[in-house]
Amino acid sequence: MTFHIIGSILPEVTIAIAICVVILVNSLIRSVSAAFIHSMILFFLSVALFLSFVSLEIPNSNIFNGHYVIDSFGTNLKIIALIASILVHLASLKSKNNIKNEIFLIQLFATLGVLILCSAHNLLTVYLGLETLTLSMYGMVASNRNSIEATESAMKFFILGAIASAIFLYGLSIVYGVTGTLSLELIKESNLLDGLEMRIAVAFIACGVIFKFGAFPFHSWVPDSYQGSNTTAAIYISSVPKIGAFALISRLFLDSLNVMSEFWSILILSAGLLSIIIGNLIALMQINLRRMLAYSAIGHIGFVLLSFSIVNDGGISASMTYLLMYILMTISAFALIESISSEDHQHIELSDLKGLNNSHPLIAFMLLFCMFSMVGIPPFIGFYAKWIVLSELVNNGMLWFAIVGIIMSVIAAYYYLRVVWFMYFEKTDQPIENKGMMNTHSITSIFVSVMLLLIGLYPNPIIDYTRIIISSFLLID
Amino acid sequence: MILDLMIWAPIISGLIILMIGKNYGSLSYSLSIFSSSLVFVISLYALSMYDSSQTGIQFELITSWIERFDINYHLGVDGISFPLILLTTFITPIVLLTSRTSEKSNLHQYLASFLILEGLMIGVFSALDAFLFYVFWEAMLIPMFIIIGIWGGKNRVYATIKFFLYTFLGSVFMLIAIIYLYIQTGSYSIFDFYNIDLSRTEQILIFLAFLFAFAVKIPMWPVHTWLPDAHVEAPTGGSVILAAILLKMGGYGLLRFSLPITPNASSELSMVMVVLSLIAIIYIGMVALSQTDMKKLIAYSSVAHMGFVTLGTFVVFLDHEIASLEIMNLAISGAMIQMISHGLISGALFLCIGVMYDRVHSREIDDYGGVALMMPRFAGLMVFFALANAALPGTSGFVGEVLVILASLKVNFWIALLSGTTLVIGAAYTLWMIKRVIFGDVTNEKINDIQDVSAIELIPLMILAIMVLAMGVYPEPLMNLMYVSINDLSKLVFLGAGI
Repeated sequence: MTFHIIGSILPEVTIAIAICVVILVNSLIRSVSAAFIHSMILFFLSVALFLSFVSLEIPNSNIFNGHYVIDSFGTNLKIIALIASILVHLASLKSKNNIKNEIFLIQLFATLGVLILCSAHNLLTVYLGLETLTLSMYGMVASNRNSIEATESAMKFFILGAIASAIFLYGLSIVYGVTGTLSLELIKESNLLDGLEMRIAVAFIACGVIFKFGAFPFHSWVPDSYQGSNTTAAIYISSVPKIGAFALISRLFLDSLNVMSEFWSILILSAGLLSIIIGNLIALMQINLRRMLAYSAIGHIGFVLLSFSIVNDGGISASMTYLLMYILMTISAFALIESISSEDHQHIELSDLKGLNNSHPLIAFMLLFCMFSMVGIPPFIGFYAKWIVLSELVNNGMLWFAIVGIIMSVIAAYYYLRVVWFMYFEKTDQPIENKGMMNTHSITSIFVSVMLLLIGLYPNPIIDYTRIIISSFLLID
Repeated sequence: MILDLMIWAPIISGLIILMIGKNYGSLSYSLSIFSSSLVFVISLYALSMYDSSQTGIQFELITSWIERFDINYHLGVDGISFPLILLTTFITPIVLLTSRTSEKSNLHQYLASFLILEGLMIGVFSALDAFLFYVFWEAMLIPMFIIIGIWGGKNRVYATIKFFLYTFLGSVFMLIAIIYLYIQTGSYSIFDFYNIDLSRTEQILIFLAFLFAFAVKIPMWPVHTWLPDAHVEAPTGGSVILAAILLKMGGYGLLRFSLPITPNASSELSMVMVVLSLIAIIYIGMVALSQTDMKKLIAYSSVAHMGFVTLGTFVVFLDHEIASLEIMNLAISGAMIQMISHGLISGALFLCIGVMYDRVHSREIDDYGGVALMMPRFAGLMVFFALANAALPGTSGFVGEVLVILASLKVNFWIALLSGTTLVIGAAYTLWMIKRVIFGDVTNEKINDIQDVSAIELIPLMILAIMVLAMGVYPEPLMNLMYVSINDLSKLVFLGAGI
């Protein structure tokens, strides 16, 4: 029995072991090289990924007295989270000196939090996973400790995050008060009524979820933390935690509070719609690339939420498709920007991109892929993401939301095009120096960017994959 | 298979040039000429295989692409798309040939953009799956955006962003319409869209959504304002492709999507379309008259000439009593010939302006005068193209316009009369420009030093001149190529509109 339980949570165990090993090695062996730590982390992440593939075979089961559930939905999300973590890790292997090894340790903690969220089946476990993730994120933002900006954004992030967690926790406790149970399964089976208390609870929980996604109106931490933290942290924050948030919203809202779907779908819908509008409009005014990407992320997440609020298998799988494609795009964008930034030149602004086509033709070309993908121009994956969400919206009679979304993406095109404009159409006397090195980092960033095109030419795997996962999730429950 | 080759050969060679071409300017130049000429030869081979007496689609190819949404990689041509593909494969090598007459940074990127653009344009004309069509249609914006933005004139960034946003805004509504049609039919095949029963409101909304996309591309008054900017700022090659092929996609879209999918709405809104076309023909013609920039003048004349395409497409619906298959065939043939001929003539005129610009570095009419004295060979050709632009009988410009005017005459005398004024206005603005630029006294000292055209500039212009003349004197082969498909289209639309 014990063996069976341990066997089902091997990926989490692996990450936990990795954390311990990294702490020990880091503190016991003085002269350990960064490269060694990196390869060790990579090794553990790959093992965890392998073990999650293996655990796809395990039949659905509840373990730890129902605190934890093993099902294909959770395991698949874990696989996605681990792949994303590996990509993020590879993409951040560039500047060795200014990054302390601790940040990779903190990332492992955050990944552990995401894995727990994927399988949590009890309000306590949910909160545990969420806080593991969130606390690590504070640490990540703050790790750039010589920078005043980073400290400021970490402080802001912490205060806002703490408030959001408190509200979220309050929502959970109301649910407990009404239903008398913490187990998600029992909450689902209890004959809930769509009453006022439950509406308050759902609204509070929604606040926490929306905060985690970084969507309007709880989006103000996103630009600050993207800008303040170092790129390693920014790539991570913009990608992996969103998978945790997706697991959270699916388990809590879609599954156990499905009775209330009419109410929460309105909340999610309005948050999504407003995120698309606000995020993209503010992004128009940004000149710092990371801030611009932050607001663009808010806009993209808006599409994820908008599609989620359809609450049927088509809509949810479209939402998940968008999320996966967004994660690829954001990793590619940050990694490319990182590859042209240097230690003394961390804050890339639009004007720094001038003449990039002449100094770094390949990076410029890949960034062009990435930007047109974010605009939603075929044949890049961003187009399929938008199209699949629009299809589901139109299919479910939400034509007007589709039209608003699409008009906003035309407006958004302007600031993405501006990046291309500065790279290709402007000339400069002082281009960013081309060090001409091919390292793990640049290979990863180019690999991910080329994937934007290749998956775009044949998007079936992602489209079918999300569909299968979501229908299995909705069918079982 | 043959279409596959025509789409992907230029795209792949473009990517190869992009990768290796940085230090090998001449090699990538030769490679681009080679691959685009090869595509032209393939298209001629396809022409020899094409059976113009057969109805329906030829060279058809279907492979499943995105199974879950029943999207197919579905290619094929008929008499409406095939002439436009030939135009594309014919113009692209000419553009590439002239790409070295002026100094360019990153020549390999320039060549690669045009090659990729060529493949995508052929894709647009041969896609028979609406989703695939949209993918090609939108992807085309990327190389064009780059071409205008990098190698354009002083105001290029404004022009290219305006171009991009205009067309992007137009086409997203088309995307919504395509998605809506998919949800109604369960398929993305264009032919399945033809058989669908839509209510009156649905038809009108879908018609408008498509119209928005196509009207921006054509461009129709009043969404034409991106065109003068884009044309003026684009490099010569960009202007040629823009005028010769990109604008035709709007006209093609009307024939491929709007008419057969929403015949009732087309018929109901035909008055609006005809009025908009007449405004383009007359008002924009007048606007062209007052331009001082040669490229702008030709750009406005393009809008006016494309007015005949939309007029020919919709004029027959005006009067259901008179409407007949014959008139419809006549009008659509006129529209098609006008598209091809405008592609050749405006392309040639932009090349001519490019030749002068490379020497004098000005597009202002006032900076010229007496060019004929210094460049006699060039002047002869330019005057010829100008006359063709003014629809001189014996040139291809005449055939298209006269067919459309004839068809309009059978429907309504006044519309024919109004559209006929183009023969006067068109002659006025083109010939007046010629008078000031080519003839007269030399007013600008720079003109005194200029050389006549070199062989590499002369050959493309000669070829174009021969084509224009041939189509004007003997348009029969082209008409035969299109006739069966146009007749099918007319029947389909008449059936749908209940005429």
